[in-house]
Amino acid sequence: MPHQCTNCDRRFPDGSKEMLSGCPDCGGNKFQFAPATSEASDDASSGEATPATESKQPADATATADQDPASASATSGQAPDREWPETARRPAEKDGRLDGSFADESPAEAGTDAMADDFEWVNGEEDDAQATARSDVVSPDELPRTATDTEAVSSRTEGATTDASDGTRETDARDRPDDGRVVSEPETDQPSIDQLREELNQQFESIKIVNPGQYELNLMELYDREEHIVSLQEDGRYVINVPESWHDS
Amino acid sequence: MGLLKGLKDSISRATDRLFSDEEPKRIGIYGPPNAGKTTLANRIARDWTGDAVGTESHIPHETRRARRKENVEIERNGKTVTIDIVDTPGVTTKVDYEEFTDEMEKDDAVRRSREATEGVAEAMHWLREDVDGVIYVLDSAEDPITQVNTMLIGIIESRDLPVLIFANKIDLDDSSIKRIEDAFPQHQTVPLSAKEGDNMDEVYDNIAEYFG
Repeated sequence: MPHQCTNCDRRFPDGSKEMLSGCPDCGGNKFQFAPATSEASDDASSGEATPATESKQPADATATADQDPASASATSGQAPDREWPETARRPAEKDGRLDGSFADESPAEAGTDAMADDFEWVNGEEDDAQATARSDVVSPDELPRTATDTEAVSSRTEGATTDASDGTRETDARDRPDDGRVVSEPETDQPSIDQLREELNQQFESIKIVNPGQYELNLMELYDREEHIVSLQEDGRYVINVPESWHDS
Repeated sequence: MGLLKGLKDSISRATDRLFSDEEPKRIGIYGPPNAGKTTLANRIARDWTGDAVGTESHIPHETRRARRKENVEIERNGKTVTIDIVDTPGVTTKVDYEEFTDEMEKDDAVRRSREATEGVAEAMHWLREDVDGVIYVLDSAEDPITQVNTMLIGIIESRDLPVLIFANKIDLDDSSIKRIEDAFPQHQTVPLSAKEGDNMDEVYDNIAEYFG
């Protein structure tokens, strides 16, 4: 699941051909790469699909499911192959919300939307970290009051709202014991930079990272690629720009 | 040139373009690092628009993003040729931060190296997608027969793009125009010094002829 649309956050499994013609949902042609085993130290707010943000999703789901037993089985059972849910934010809506204004939306709706967005999987594939975290159910004692739980999901995921109780929500989200535990979990199986580099090299025949700051380039491969590499990072991530013509065809 | 004549010429040029279906041709300035591509781009842009394109430096890979100067109008023999100049990062098969560590801290050198690599990828992408002609700039004091030069000129030829080879830095003692002419006899080679402004008339004559 290393590819993610930078516009609507839709994720694509490694090797997916869907993204080759642009994002099927929003038409976006920029994707970022986050290896399934990449380190979890990145800031979750950057919007990149790091294991930290992924591993938080099951906790969120569990917490929300606990609040609403009727939806529990639906959340955990259908999440992997769910199509764009009715409640999920559409890409256009999301674009319109980049200014951080959510005043016209109730906290409960925002929480549901955010959760659904996080669980928008394409081909029913789920990586190991995700599966492990999903099966590791927190006990009800560890959960905060259900009334604030959904709000916490909302505030953590969306970052900024214009709701008057915004400050309270942020505090709730940070104080949740499961929240801190989950964030630090992926560090236990954090891959080495060498592994990430090897992974990148497998992805890119055109650029080889010999060492940090030392690259070998295959000019012919770079010329032959239709997509444009716009950003390359030492930790194995990259951003490509898919040509418009792919989307049109 | 009088004010009225200048105004008239300007209106005439605008009218010509208004009724012309052709967009300005995008001319990519390609070549290995430190061949003088940005110096040339700045020389052309300053001569015809008064503006510069980018920063020049003796440290390789100063240009790490392609930069475009649009609507550069070059007048030759009473005709006006309008082109967009694309100054590209130097193309190479290896980028090593240690090249820069004499000039800057390691962290900056590593970042410069990564950006330069992205720049090469971008330059190759532009070559595939976005240029109508190529000015290939070589340092005439260096051996022109390298893997990069051979491969890039081969790619340009495979695309049937019009190409001019500019033998730059003829002001240097080690400069050899013949070495470049012998290496790429199938193409027109134009000697110049972009830094000193030597032989720029011939440069503009050739640009107007090839890309006009």
